[in-house]
Amino acid sequence: MINITDQNELFKLIGTKLDEKASCLAIGGSAMMFYGAKTETKDVDLVFLDKKSFNLVKKALYEIGFDERKNIKPIFAHYDIAKDKPIMMEGMDTRFDLFLNEVIGFRISSSIIDRIKEVHEFGNLIVKIISPEDIILLKCATEREKDRDDAASLIEKFNIEWGVIIKESMHQTEIGGDIFPVFLFDFLYELKESFKAKIPKEIIEKIMKIGEKIMIEKIKSGKHIAVKKF
Amino acid sequence: MDLQNIAKSLEGLQTVDTIAKRLGISRRTAINLIWILRKKGLVETGYGKRKIRLYRIRAIKKPDIGFKGLYDIINENSKVKVFAKEQHRIHGHKLTIEEAIIRAIEEEDFRTILTALGLFNKIKDWSRLLKFAKKEKLTRKVGALYDVARTAIKVKRIDKRIRKALLKGTVGDKYIVKKIRSADFKDIEKEWNVFIPFNKADLGVYKE
Repeated sequence: MINITDQNELFKLIGTKLDEKASCLAIGGSAMMFYGAKTETKDVDLVFLDKKSFNLVKKALYEIGFDERKNIKPIFAHYDIAKDKPIMMEGMDTRFDLFLNEVIGFRISSSIIDRIKEVHEFGNLIVKIISPEDIILLKCATEREKDRDDAASLIEKFNIEWGVIIKESMHQTEIGGDIFPVFLFDFLYELKESFKAKIPKEIIEKIMKIGEKIMIEKIKSGKHIAVKKF
Repeated sequence: MDLQNIAKSLEGLQTVDTIAKRLGISRRTAINLIWILRKKGLVETGYGKRKIRLYRIRAIKKPDIGFKGLYDIINENSKVKVFAKEQHRIHGHKLTIEEAIIRAIEEEDFRTILTALGLFNKIKDWSRLLKFAKKEKLTRKVGALYDVARTAIKVKRIDKRIRKALLKGTVGDKYIVKKIRSADFKDIEKEWNVFIPFNKADLGVYKE
């Protein structure tokens, strides 16, 4: 586990090791720590939008004593055929998960970039923090229990704009092909029922209707329904 | 409603009036509420036009990390303010006025550069400005914007040696803001060999 102070020290170290500017998006627990919604996280998840920045940070991490974990199949099994494979760098009792353009089938769209709330500069490393709405959306792509805890905590602490979440899930279906509103319905329904998260009933119903409509459209068109939930 | 829920319902930018309206309370009570929320570290105050106070309310207290970023420096030191879409924080070192000017130029954004003109009045170390300008190859743009700022704001006189050094800089991209040039400040454009994006009316904001 790593707290925000240690995380930022590592970012500073990476920033000084970088020869040129590299920018990335902080997602998950790492982003939550910047918002003060979490005190520590298991791993630091960063998404890069260009291969150059991705490689620069990978090299910088290597130079400060991190090593690439070779066997990442159990964690990122679905990336077997993906073009932009993530990497895991381990060291100093910390793990960095570096993604390129997408996280478990969820593409970093221009609307996600527009919603960025904070930008932190650590020398040459620029870390942009995605919005709480997008953190929730990214958490819905996984099946881990702790991700549900995190999402419930975000819903409790922030005034979540549900319209943004619904719109982005539909947008992800358009650009990625996955049936995101279905995942989202499943995820939010569980949060409401099992974690007692305060999600308006009409939002759940709205997402359910959108999900049903997309499923019917996909089935009618005879297209393959991609399911990449892990 | 407890304080946490009140802060959650007010999250974002508010004025005293919007808070009073949303919660159905008097202006006086809204001011008291802001005071309590500020004590809890949930409120940051800024100023809009005509010195109207704008309160940025957060639902949870954020960790106070890093130093002020470009937009905070501009808003603190320039008469003309800029609205930042995102919060910018610098880690590892404090952003100086001189560095902030260079960063504002690097943004290539009309409003950011216009508001940053006000920073020329707060420069303490001209050689530091030259150092940053040389590093980012922006010497001519810095010199030209200094001259533009002088037409509208009372600005400290630049050291002659620094001015000469700024003039010696190479001419790269002539545009300060991409594809924007005005019909004014032709003499400054000619001297520095760059295109000024502002016209005289744009600088009127400094005289309001």
